Amino acid sequence: MGRAPRKQGQQTERGLNRRTLLVGGGATAGLLLAWGGWPRAYRANLNTAPGETAFNAFLKIDRSGQIIVIVPQTEMGQGVSTLLPQILADELGADWRTIGVQSAPIGPLYANNLLARQWLANDWSRLAGEAGEWAIDQYATRSALMLTGAGTSIPMFHQPYREAGAAARVLLCKAAAARWDVAWESCDIRDGIVSDGGKRTLKLGEVAEDAATFDLPDILPFRQADVDRLAGQELPRLDTPSKIDGSHNFAADIRLPDMAFASIRQGPIGDAVLKSVNEGAAKSVTGFLKLVRRERWVAAIASNWWAANKALDLADPVFALSGTPVGSAGIEAALEQAFADSSGERLYARGDPQSLSEDATVLASEYRVRPGLHLAMEPTCATARIGEDGAEVWMATQAPGLARAAIARALDLPAEAVTLYPLHAGGGHGRRMDFEAGVQAALLSREMGRPVQLLWSRLEDVIQDRPSAPAHARMAGKLGRNGAVEGWSAKVAAPCALTQTWARIAHGKLPHEASADASGTSTRLAVAGMDLPYSVPNWAVDHFPADVGLPLGFARGNANLHGAFFTESFMDELAHQAQMEAMSFRIQMLGGNPRLAHCLTTVGAMGGWQGGIEGSGQGLAAHVMNGAFIAVMVEAGVDEGKLQVSRIVAAVDGGEQVNPDIARQQVESGLIHGLAFAMGASVPYAKGMPTRAILGRMGLPRLGDVGEVTVELIRSTAPPAGLTDLGAPVVAPAVANALFTTTGRRFRSLPLLMEG
Amino acid sequence: MTKFTVNDRPVQYRMDPATPLLWALRDASNLTGTKYGCGTGDCGACTVDIDGEAVRSCQVTIAAAEGKFVTTIEGLSPDRGHPLQQVFAADNVSQCGYCIPGVIMAASALLRRTSDPSDEEIDAAITNICRCGIYPRLRGAIQRAGRVMRGEEVVDAVPPSGIAPEEAAKAVPALRRP
Repeated sequence: MGRAPRKQGQQTERGLNRRTLLVGGGATAGLLLAWGGWPRAYRANLNTAPGETAFNAFLKIDRSGQIIVIVPQTEMGQGVSTLLPQILADELGADWRTIGVQSAPIGPLYANNLLARQWLANDWSRLAGEAGEWAIDQYATRSALMLTGAGTSIPMFHQPYREAGAAARVLLCKAAAARWDVAWESCDIRDGIVSDGGKRTLKLGEVAEDAATFDLPDILPFRQADVDRLAGQELPRLDTPSKIDGSHNFAADIRLPDMAFASIRQGPIGDAVLKSVNEGAAKSVTGFLKLVRRERWVAAIASNWWAANKALDLADPVFALSGTPVGSAGIEAALEQAFADSSGERLYARGDPQSLSEDATVLASEYRVRPGLHLAMEPTCATARIGEDGAEVWMATQAPGLARAAIARALDLPAEAVTLYPLHAGGGHGRRMDFEAGVQAALLSREMGRPVQLLWSRLEDVIQDRPSAPAHARMAGKLGRNGAVEGWSAKVAAPCALTQTWARIAHGKLPHEASADASGTSTRLAVAGMDLPYSVPNWAVDHFPADVGLPLGFARGNANLHGAFFTESFMDELAHQAQMEAMSFRIQMLGGNPRLAHCLTTVGAMGGWQGGIEGSGQGLAAHVMNGAFIAVMVEAGVDEGKLQVSRIVAAVDGGEQVNPDIARQQVESGLIHGLAFAMGASVPYAKGMPTRAILGRMGLPRLGDVGEVTVELIRSTAPPAGLTDLGAPVVAPAVANALFTTTGRRFRSLPLLMEG
Repeated sequence: MTKFTVNDRPVQYRMDPATPLLWALRDASNLTGTKYGCGTGDCGACTVDIDGEAVRSCQVTIAAAEGKFVTTIEGLSPDRGHPLQQVFAADNVSQCGYCIPGVIMAASALLRRTSDPSDEEIDAAITNICRCGIYPRLRGAIQRAGRVMRGEEVVDAVPPSGIAPEEAAKAVPALRRP
């Protein structure tokens, strides 16, 4: 597991000698494609144990009949390690009780082209249309760009897993048919048993080895039968058993012979260099082994983690910080300055947005969103062992290929000498797109000459978080005579978190460098979710790039977190101005978007929508993300200065979902994540540090803060969309809109009740 | 002194007596089901049972645990057979799974006090932080586990670990005997 295919890792950076194609502009986002010398087709690079037969990149079957599904996507709680196997098992005709899961090795067949397209698309590739998408696909595949995030796993891999299951079914039927001397088309597989349609049967394990020697037909038939399908069933998650008895190993649960434990300090946010450390004090700790100093961090190693962390506290590392230290006032000022510095870049436009300023009923509002912290329950961690043959690293990462390349670079080893064991993440919410801890653990293990487990303290995890982007918006709208929106202008000042993240993980930039480099970049990624789902004749979205000095990262919902807050809060303001009920106001503009309109009417009927009248405490919001539609209705109020959300009702159209209960669970999860952003999950910064880092003071919801949550999945035959991020952006605007009905006040900042 | 009982076995830790119980369990006993989430007693991921009470193990030193009976998630049941474990599987509660051992340990202490807790009692007892958002399913699952404990309902959602291939082949027609 995890062993490298030859070539792929390295050639993205070298191999640019002859004909090259520049995809995109700018040093940070540009991709170089090398032509020639690349294979046009890729073979699966799976290892097989004795008795196992590999059918394709996604499937092995062993002699006893165990179905081993290979999953390249990182399980972070979203259920992907159940969903992809369920798609394959359904098409194969397997018995669910025989399904096992293995993580994929790093290879081109596991590249996530869909996320690559979303992330790396730019003006150039959009202009090139299909050729641009093709170029990004080529880049992603050739560099084995494995990525998990932004709800892309199911839309990206749904079809390949169906095909993998169908292909194996055909081959197994062919092998059985040959033994029985019948036509393979007459055979079928149900519950893991091949039959000839009559009485003869074979178990899959009995024909697996034979089957792999047959050829596939030109056209792959999918299963036609409607009975005994696994698709659509609420099958139990495969990761549940080990997660309810404490046996599941996260990266900090790995135990290796002679392993030592490490804690780390990386100084304040920004360009910080280690200056001094009191080693004598660290030595007084029982179990302390060593301090390891690098330019930008220091780690203490001990025989248990508490001793390591205590030694580090006593060693009291001092860092020298260059440049202006990050502070909340500076972040806010930088965002306002962005409006002053340029006229912005128009990223979306329809009709004649200029007409907005010409006549009456213009309503303008200013909104702001603070940086949002990830605060995954599992602090950042990794375990590493360096041997003579190379390095082994155990970690959860959303970008295993890039992580392995970075570890190899740091150790000055070829990529294939580094084995990455991809583990489940104890939550990620986007934070596992970066992989610093894997690199640090590997360096520490080499320094110590023994296995080292590095676990960041919660304090370190908060200081070194890469939050979602802070943003300011200036919204203006104009109502037509019929009460519908006739003109809409959104001006958004925000740094682009995704551009910075890419510069860090793909180009090895330090966080403060990546932050500065990306500060001038105008990109749709910074205003995601502001492409209006409503039919508004004249509208525009302008982006004003900003340099806030705070390194930012991949997040659950990404820029949709602020985009939906701006759009759906302001839509409510316009409805109020038009003296229209907020649901009808939206629906009258959704003639071209029946799926979103359906979500709204469903949520209204389910939730008992009273029209958002004064005193009702009810609020609405709707949003569209990558082919998934959601409307939510909340009931909320403020009690003794604390936000109370007693009900959240959501209606979702996410296409045909293979496991409806996991789909609902993903939406619930996003809703609670969004509720956290409405309540908190953000800290002020001063002098290069967050002003607090205690988890209990982050305003995160606990069970007692969460009332009734209902999620309705609307039946749909549309292609399956990713639902993991969908719930997160809509809760805050719905709550803000609800609070207006009881307080008469607009809550235009996130978190909603934040001081200052 | 640092002698006490962990999952029914007597132990003595040769560690600094100021070491929090969490780290003795994790790094000396390799009982890694008990998780570190914050170190400040806020999140509850490190919750264990000490003499029948749910306690944040990051806030108790091994010196203070002298003579006590500590039960971790590993000691809750030998076969995932605790009603909370079965119901958590049946109701699909767990997501990333990191907070789950702490939540189950807190809930098991509650259910031992009262097998029919009200919503308010559950909210007061389960102050654990979960970032995936298992909350919408949590109260119902704990109440359902209570019904199982009272004998009003039967849930059999997850088999024990360590089933031999021969046994699996007997139960599942698609499998062959090895």
